[in-house]
Amino acid sequence: MSTPTLERERAKPGAPPPAPGSWWSRHQREAAPYAFISPFFVLFGLFMAVPILVGLYLSCTEWAGLGTPKWVGLRNYTDLLTDASFWTSMGNTALYVVFTLLVVVPAALLIAQALNARGLRGRDVFRLAFFMPVVISPIVITLVFGLFFDTEFGIVNGALKAVFGFGGIDWTGDPTWAKVAVVVLVLWRWTGYLTVFFLAGLQNVPRELYEAAAIDGAGPVRRFTDVTLPALKPVTAFVAVTVLVSTAQIFEEPFLLTRGGPGEATLSVAMFVYRAGFERQQLGYAAAAGVVLFIVVVSVGLLANRLLGVGRDHR
Amino acid sequence: MSTLTARRPFGGRLLLYAFLVTLLLVFALPLLWALSSSFKSRADIFSYPPALLPNPAVLDNYRGLLEAQPFWSWFAISTVVAVISTVVSVLLCSLAGFAFAKYRFRGRNALFTIMFSSLAVPFAVIVVPLFIMVAKARLTEPYFALVVPWVAPAFGIFMMRQYTEQAVPDELLDAARIDGCTEFGLFRRVVLPLLRPALGALGVWSFLNSYNSLLWPLIVISEPEDYTLPMGIQALFGATGRQYDLVLAGSVLAAVPSLLVFFLLRKQLLEGLTAGAVKA
Repeated sequence: MSTPTLERERAKPGAPPPAPGSWWSRHQREAAPYAFISPFFVLFGLFMAVPILVGLYLSCTEWAGLGTPKWVGLRNYTDLLTDASFWTSMGNTALYVVFTLLVVVPAALLIAQALNARGLRGRDVFRLAFFMPVVISPIVITLVFGLFFDTEFGIVNGALKAVFGFGGIDWTGDPTWAKVAVVVLVLWRWTGYLTVFFLAGLQNVPRELYEAAAIDGAGPVRRFTDVTLPALKPVTAFVAVTVLVSTAQIFEEPFLLTRGGPGEATLSVAMFVYRAGFERQQLGYAAAAGVVLFIVVVSVGLLANRLLGVGRDHR
Repeated sequence: MSTLTARRPFGGRLLLYAFLVTLLLVFALPLLWALSSSFKSRADIFSYPPALLPNPAVLDNYRGLLEAQPFWSWFAISTVVAVISTVVSVLLCSLAGFAFAKYRFRGRNALFTIMFSSLAVPFAVIVVPLFIMVAKARLTEPYFALVVPWVAPAFGIFMMRQYTEQAVPDELLDAARIDGCTEFGLFRRVVLPLLRPALGALGVWSFLNSYNSLLWPLIVISEPEDYTLPMGIQALFGATGRQYDLVLAGSVLAAVPSLLVFFLLRKQLLEGLTAGAVKA
């Protein structure tokens, strides 16, 4: 696009003639946006595009980090297909994703709904307290949760014993309970974060809509399904896709709380990649698992995007 | 206007507060417990039933941590790395966000899509090659390895674009151009001041991301004297007998800067985060 305003102003009698100057001073208007976005694209190229290409190459090699990678074609991928650990990690990751979508997201919506009640006092205090887990370093959180879930001394078992009379749960040693512990940690860490988005969405819903619905005789449930939910659609879509993409990459919670264990009961795909790459020196194999994760995340993300319509430019 | 409030029965109101206060306790309990326990003696940490308040309150854990561990060095590295990352990424993201929001240029949509879809690239895909590249180039010095790859996050650019679009009027830009302002001068003198709230939000977000990060430092930093704070705590917690007393003290001290930054700029952060989601 040309710059009519600028040219017209300069052509006015009395205005200084266009400065001859350097190429930059003459073309800066057209070049500026490229200059402004170039740092991102340089970094993106170096630290994301190149690693992706290198990763694609490595995924077809066998390499322990020393010497030259040995080309093995698609063997890493076929090995992954028959690797029980990999399937376990896929299953666990799917469980985390489904749990987050079906439990964490609705819980956040419920809390946001409560926080949005009219005349609620201390809304900001609640909002801040719920957001707090996001602010704290994951190592601190998992340490504290590790102590909470301690089989002998943990508060969780202590409380269970006090209330229900049993409390000998081996939270990190039993495959099922270890999953529960990880999932509880996910719930605790991320519910407040998502609540902030829903609350912002709710506060954007015009009050008049609710009043109109109330006058038409809609009860609380009808008001929720007919006014709140449609109004929240963009936020929900955003939250759902964010949750999908980030939970598919879950690493910190199982890594710190259970080290993926017992056995592989809480192993996630991201942990599988980490373990293969940095503990077992199977760099090619790790890269292949990373590529598979990438393909799954992108296809599920695109599918969700199409279903929910996130990120469409509405202008 | 207040018909809905007036009609809400007292019992409902009570239930609402009970629900929220219970949740508040659930969310706050682990952190309060860590704070309280960090002042307990080693034996008291595990006493059952757990005491609400440390009795007697001791500073042994803090003293032990500061004496036995290079705590301040971890702390300094984490803080300096986080501050550098924050300053650079706020600058780069607002520049790029401004370009995407206020210029029409060839390839704009395609470039934006590439930028935005980089959000979907799992860290697990690039982590192995990235580590190899950084290690081969011998760039594992923390100020490079922990800062440079992450200073232009796509999420930050997206956030800044959303904000710039509505906070910066086109007329103002044109007026400044007529006055002979260069394009970068425009950014520095006109746009940046208008973006202040969003800069705060992105600043907190970047600081927390960098300060709390664990996985990447764990991969790329190997010398104990280069450890970041989360790495240091993780090491204390590691294989050689879990030193819960020191770890608790370290955790509390580690949380102070992030809480401080968060509380100072909480309003901007919460509003900035949701700007993209709600108005998308």
